[in-house]
Formats: sequence, C-alpha cells, structure tokens
Amino acid sequence: MVLHIARKEFLNNLLTSRFLIGFLLCLFLIPFSILINIDGYRDQLGQAKLDRDAAEKTMAEVRVYSGLRPVIVLPPEPLGIFGKGLSAQLGNQVKVRLGLKPLLAEGKTAARDNPFLASFFSVDFVDIAAIIFSLLALLFSYDALTREKEDGTLRLQMANSLGRSLLLAGKITGILLTLLPVVILSFLLGGIIVLFSGDLAFSSAEWGRLLLLALISLAYIAVFVFLGLFVSSRSRNSVTSLVVCLFLWVGLVFLVPNLASTFAESFVPIQSRDNLDAVLKDMDKSLSDRLDTAEEKLPQPDWNTNWYMNSGEDGYLEAYGCTASLFERYRLGTALSEPMRLDNADRKWRPQKTYLDSLSRQARAAEKMALLSPAGIFRAVAMAVCGTDRRAQEKRLDDIRRYRETFVSWLRGKNIFEKYEYFTPTPPAQFKNADALVAARSAGRFKSLAEYEKWAASITDFREQWKVLQAAKVPGDKPDDFPYLAIGDMPRFQARPVPAAELLAGSAFRLGLLLFECALFFALAYVAFIRYDVR
Amino acid sequence: MWKTVFRREVQHNIYSLRFALSLALVLAVFVAGSLSFVRHHAADLDKYRESRELAAKAIERAAQSNATVLAVGKRAYDFRPRDNAFLADAKEKYLPNSITFSAWNVFGFANKSGSANPYLARYDELSWAFAIALLVSFVALIFTFDAVSGERENKTLALSLANPVSRGTLLFGKFASAVVSVLAIVVPAVLVSLIILTVSGTASWGWTLAGETAAILAAAALLAAAMCAFGLLCSVLARRSNVSLLLALTVWLLFAIVIPNSSGFLAGNVYPIEPAETVGKRVRQAFDDLNKAAPPGSWMMHSGNPFLPQHELRADLQRKRLAAEKAIRDDYYRAMFRQFERTRRLTALSPIAAFEYLAESIVGGGYPRFRRNWDDLHVYQGQFQSFFTALDSRDPKSPHWINPSEDVSTTREKVSPDLVPKFAERAMSSADRLSAGLPYLAVLGAAAALVFFLAFLLFVRYDVR
Repeated sequence: MVLHIARKEFLNNLLTSRFLIGFLLCLFLIPFSILINIDGYRDQLGQAKLDRDAAEKTMAEVRVYSGLRPVIVLPPEPLGIFGKGLSAQLGNQVKVRLGLKPLLAEGKTAARDNPFLASFFSVDFVDIAAIIFSLLALLFSYDALTREKEDGTLRLQMANSLGRSLLLAGKITGILLTLLPVVILSFLLGGIIVLFSGDLAFSSAEWGRLLLLALISLAYIAVFVFLGLFVSSRSRNSVTSLVVCLFLWVGLVFLVPNLASTFAESFVPIQSRDNLDAVLKDMDKSLSDRLDTAEEKLPQPDWNTNWYMNSGEDGYLEAYGCTASLFERYRLGTALSEPMRLDNADRKWRPQKTYLDSLSRQARAAEKMALLSPAGIFRAVAMAVCGTDRRAQEKRLDDIRRYRETFVSWLRGKNIFEKYEYFTPTPPAQFKNADALVAARSAGRFKSLAEYEKWAASITDFREQWKVLQAAKVPGDKPDDFPYLAIGDMPRFQARPVPAAELLAGSAFRLGLLLFECALFFALAYVAFIRYDVR
Repeated sequence: MWKTVFRREVQHNIYSLRFALSLALVLAVFVAGSLSFVRHHAADLDKYRESRELAAKAIERAAQSNATVLAVGKRAYDFRPRDNAFLADAKEKYLPNSITFSAWNVFGFANKSGSANPYLARYDELSWAFAIALLVSFVALIFTFDAVSGERENKTLALSLANPVSRGTLLFGKFASAVVSVLAIVVPAVLVSLIILTVSGTASWGWTLAGETAAILAAAALLAAAMCAFGLLCSVLARRSNVSLLLALTVWLLFAIVIPNSSGFLAGNVYPIEPAETVGKRVRQAFDDLNKAAPPGSWMMHSGNPFLPQHELRADLQRKRLAAEKAIRDDYYRAMFRQFERTRRLTALSPIAAFEYLAESIVGGGYPRFRRNWDDLHVYQGQFQSFFTALDSRDPKSPHWINPSEDVSTTREKVSPDLVPKFAERAMSSADRLSAGLPYLAVLGAAAALVFFLAFLLFVRYDVR
C-alpha cells in the first residue's frame, strides 16, 4: 500500500510545474556553479604551479645554507570545485623561516590580481545545493496534506482501511522519490562536467567523497521534507503552510549563517593583528640589540671588506672573497645568532598562538551558531568532506610547523650554524689573509694591506681606489665560481592525504545532528499528522 | 477609484500572515544587526586607535631621526571604521582599506591584514542595506506573486473588474499597496534600530544621519517598487499562483544569488586584466634598462659623505626608477578600477545588486570612499613633498639632490612631528554621494517603471476567467 501511495505521489509530482521549474533551475544553476568554480580552480592550480616552480628554482639555485628557506606551496583541493569553503580567501603558500613559525598562509588568494575582487562573493555547488534542495523539499511538502484536505481527497482516503502511518510513509516516500532524480541529476551533472573538462582528474578517493556528499545531501533534503510536512500538518490551508515554509527557508538558509558570523564577530572578538605585529617587532628588536651586544665581543677582522656580500631577512648571508679573519668573524656571528633566532621564534610563538587561538575561537563560535540551521550543518559537513574547512587548513599549517621543526633539526644535525658553509661555499683551504688577498688582487702592485691603505689614503676617488684591486681575478670571489648547494638529503614537505574517515570523524557530531534533526522533524510531523483534523 | 483599490489591498496585506511573518523577521534582523554593531563598532574603534598610536610613534621616531628618513619612509593610511556602517557596511573589511605612501609617491593599496578573520567564511554583515536587499526583495515578491493569478484562482479578479475600474488602475493599486506594505515593514524596523543605536550611544542623531536614513528608505522604496513590479509580472505571466510563485522565486534567486555571485567570474572573463606577475616583470625590466643607462658609479654608496658626486647620479637614477615604476603601476591600478567598475555596472542588472551599490554611495563608504581617499592622498602627498623640499632647501648642509628612496643626499635635520602635514579623511559630500549613486538610482527606477509597464501590457491581455 505504501508503494502504491508513493507511486501516486511520485507521478503526481512529476506532472507538476514545480518539478519542471525545479529541474530546470538545477539544470541551470548546477553547471553555472561548477563552471565558475572550475574556472577558479584552474586559476589557483596555475598559480600554484607558477609559485611551486619559482620556489623550486630558488631552492635549486642556493649556494649557502643561510639561503635555504623552503617555500611550501599549497595546491588547491580538487573537491574545492564543489565546496570551495575557505580556500578562496586563504593564501596559497607558507615560507619556512628560522626566525618565525608560520602563522597563516601567505601569497595570492582567489582575488588574484585585483584586490577589489575580494569584495565579490561567489557561490559553489554546495551553496546552490543548500539553497535549491531545501527549497524544492519545502515546495513538494508544504501542501502534501493541506492540498489534499482542501480538495477533500484526504477525507476520502482516510475513509478506507488505511492507517495514517501508512499514508504518511507513502507520502514521504513519494516526495523523496520525486527529489531523488533532482539530486542524482545535480551530482551527475557535476561529475560529467568534471569528467569532460579534460584537465581535471579526480582520484577514486575524491569520487568516493563526492558520493558521500550526495548521501549527505539526501539527509539534508529529508530534514526539509519532514519540516515541510510538519508545517503542512500544523496549517489550516496551503497558503498559510506555503508562507510559513518560505519564511523558514529564508531564515534557515540565508539568515542564520549570516547571523552566526555577525554575532561571532561581535561577541567573540579576535585580537588586534597590528598589536601582534608590534609585539613581534619588539621581540625582533630586542633580539637584534642582544645580538649587537654579543657581536661587539667578537674579534675584529684584519680587513673588514667584502668582495661580494649579500644579506637579507631571516639570517640570510652570502659572502665571497673575504679575508680568513672576516670569514671567521661571520662564522662566530652566525654560530651566535642562529640559535638565538630559533629561540626567539619559540618565544614569539606564544603571542602568535594567542592570536591564532582567537581566530579559531571566533570561527568556532560562528560554526556552532550556524548549527541552528540544517543548511549551516550541511555546509559545514560538506566543507569538511571537500577538505576546505577551517580544520583542514589548520591541520595543513600544523603539518607545515612540524615540517619546520624537521627542517631545523636537519640543519642542527649538520651543525651548520657553526660552519662556513652556512654563509659561503668557499672551502677554508682557499681562505687568505689580508696581505695575500691585496697582493693577489692588485696583481702584485701592493705587497700588503698597509701598503695599499697608505696609497689609498692619498686617492679621493673611491672608484680609483677600488679599480686597482681589480687588476687580477682571485678564484672564489664571486658566486658563479661555485656550484649550487647539493641538498638531496634535505627533508621535503609532503602534504599528508587526509583519509575520508578522518575527515568525517571531525564532523561526526554535525552529521549526527543532521540525522537527529531528520528524526526529530519526522517525529514531529508524524505526531502532528496523527492528530491532524482531516475534515 | 484607485484609492479604494489601494486601501483594500493595503488592508488585505497588513492583515495577512505574510505581513506578520515579514515584520517579525525584518525586526529580528534589524535588532540583531544593531546589537551586534553596538558591540563590535566600539571594539573596532579601540583597535583602530591602538594601531594609529603605533603609527604615530613610528612617525615620531622617523622625524626625530631626520626629515629625510621621514620623507622616504613608506607609511600606511588605514581607513577608520565608519560610524554609519550600520546603514551599509559596503564590504569594507574585504576591500582595500589601507593606502601606502611617502613624500614622493602614493605606492599602492591593500586589504590590511587582520581586517577579517581568514578562518571565518566571508559573509555580509547584518546592516540595514543587507537586510533590505535580502528581505525587502523577498517580501516584495511574496506580496505580489499571487496578486493577479491568486485572485483569478479565487474568482475575485473577474468580480473586481465587473466594477467600473480599469485594469491599469487595479494593477497600479496593487503595485502601490505592495510597495507601501513593504515599507510598513521596514520603517518600524529602522526606527527600532535607531532607538537601539541612539540609546547605546553608538549613533548620534543629526542632520547627516537623518538624511542618510531618509535616502536609504527612499532607495528601499525603489527596490521594493522594482521587485513588486517583477512580482506582478510573474503573477500575470502565469495562470496559477503556484506557477507564479516559482517564477518569482526564480527571479529572486537570479537577482539575489546568481548575478551578484557571478561578479568575480565575470570580472575575470569579460574584463580580464594583466596578471600581477607580468606587471612585476615590466617594472623589473624598466629598472634594468635604467640601471644600464645610468652613468658608472651611480650605485656607489657612502652614506657618511652626502656630497659624494655619485650621490647626485644615484638620486637622479632613483627619481627615474620611481617615475618609471609609478607610471607602470598607476596604469595597472587604473585597469583594476576599470575592471571593478565595469563588473559592477554589469551586475547592476540585478536590482538587488544595484540597491547595494546605491546604499554604499548613500553612506559614503566602500569603493567610492576608497576612490575619494586614493585621490585625496595624492593631493596630500604633493603637500608633504612640498613641505619636505622647502625644509631641505633651507638646510645649508644638504646637497639638495632629491633621492626619493634613500637617506643620503638631502637634509639630515630633525623635524618636529607637529609641523609635518597630516592627512585627514574628508567625509563625502552629498553631491559626491549622489553622483556615485546616480547610475544605480537610474537602474532601479528604470527597472521599476519598465517591468511595471510590461506587467501592465500583459495584464491588459490577461484572461481573468
């Protein structure tokens, strides 16, 4: 009997204009959202490739260990095509430094070349599914009982030997059967577009996650079908039921998530980024002062002149053609500064962590408040399945911070801060003292530094003073004289693929809540229908 | 006669369940938005004050070092949180809200890090403009989708037309009454919000706020008119009310979701601009060319001797480098502005998007505010530059070789921070706001008039039986 009623409902629904328009809406909106996101995904992928190539080139062309600062480029999540989550608003790379633990991803966001475009929001498959599936579920269920009551057919059916439970079960099955083709069509369309896009290739795990998303969509639809039936069984007529359902739809799908974020931002404030930056700057200043004091005690070189020297952020120093004593001065300096820099990074982590915790706390508050709406739950679970939610990003950054520790251990294992290789590839056997260096560069014109300096004091033009030292080329006085560093043994960052079970484990509560809402609204609809006056 | 129709329709609307539900929902959103604004605006202002104090200290340190350090140092002007952001937040926390400049150039702009929580999905704040754009558009359609088809189903349409009332009068009565009913929902919500904001001390009542409130309400009326016209069009397009409802919902989804959310896609594909990498390459190329053309010794450094002849060469080179980079980057910025403006013009096809842009102009925020600050900072930079060059010309110890990037060959005298010209943001005048909002005002007005006219044409041919 249930099947009989379900079949009737199904066929009835198929012939309605709402099915046709709903179907057409999906036919238009789903490809629209997928195409927009494929476009964005391709851009992100292209950018990631450019950045990765640039990072690898930089790493491959390093001659000193102080120049080794790996840049981790985060490729976009393929399933971000379906649920972009936070991926569009986060940077795509993280630089591993000695003096600072990674805070957030840097680099280009999806707004790409024009920062104004960040103010344009965009929807994805998950958003469209959350909007359309709930709307269709409500449109097919709002008048499931009221319409039949108005037509007088409900009374007629009840006059037969038909239990209310059976009738309700039949109606629910009929509505779900009607919506099933819409869900299948949506996912099928999405899958086909991905398959035929040519350059996109999903792994079997990703297809599996997509299937999981389809199953979660069914649970989401069921919640709204039961909600619609509940409203229908508590309303006197279809118009009332429709109006209530539509306002519930706008409230649950559009307002609650915004309300959640607005409230979280107002009542769970984040710390000031300027303040954090100022604190970190002060800590760096203090380190620099301590270093200056400590370096004053180091022995002075016999000739404080570099033939070629380059320095930069995070302890980068590259020196060539110095005297042995200047090289030694640099070595003592880096042996002192780099452990202090690492120690300072550990100290800086405390304010950084407090700031990060405030970001997480606010986001968590918004996520919790969004649980008030089934659409909020659906979006959160879908983002988790797509690997584009906050947790996934936080895990990625934790992995990169762990990688930094491995990288630092590798450097420490080589005792590299105390070695010349940290700032010069020149082998110590080639080091010369100042007199030998002056004699070699001036091609024997001066025998010692003192002789050269005496001569230079009488010359006012700096260029002239310098020119005489270019008389002969001294091997090893510029970078091109040395090969790039062999870093085959350097630990590389490997992005850890997150198994579906782990993704879902974090969302188990939300998934449970979605199923609980299903059961709750079903129970409410059932009880309301049992007590429904069919006359 | 139309007054009778109007009165009857208004009464019908006001006593309906949809009116009660709309009122409750709109009131709830306005109250929630106001309470949250009261809370976070104070915190935002505190943070801003803190950050400005840090910036002021940095200026003081630079000025105490010497005037050249102050002139060549890059500084940022960060936009102050707007006091009237409860009217329309204009997505300012996602837009560029910080402009970098020195005495020699306005370098560029960025969205200041920390403006928005990167772990919180981007969202629209519950400002008046958002509530009106989302809910007024929806409620307007809900009030009108069955105005004709519903009455036909109930057989009252034929009855109404049996009286001496023209179709035009009947339709206009329905249209005007729906607009008024929608406004009857918004006005109390606005009043409640104003009470919350005034009592909490967050907003101070004055002519500016009164004008902005009136303008936002007028824009809301226009949006309501446009959406009511679309609702009536859906109603006369279908014979049955549930079909017109589906049409109305489709229209709403198209205007509220599809068009605004395809802006980024449209910008990238319809109005593409050069990638930032290409621009960076062009700048590097220009630098290389200038370096090659520069006389030998141009890069010779000796900061201890300002009068070193090579400093004049390098000052000349640095000025050329600055001018070359500025020309390339300013050109790129203009391309960004064009891309953004054109995309917005395209998406203003949606009355909901047009209303949001109009609201942004009314409150003097968002993009028009950015452009005003961008232009004003260029004027200020000229003043700062004149101030510095005057200071430098008075210093006999300076060689006066203007180098916009280094502290070598201009004055090394200290300067009192109080004497340095300061940049103060000007509020946008009514005329500026009007000129920024005029195109969107026109779009909304035209949409309302054209769609209503179309609905009228169809209604004249509508079979009322």
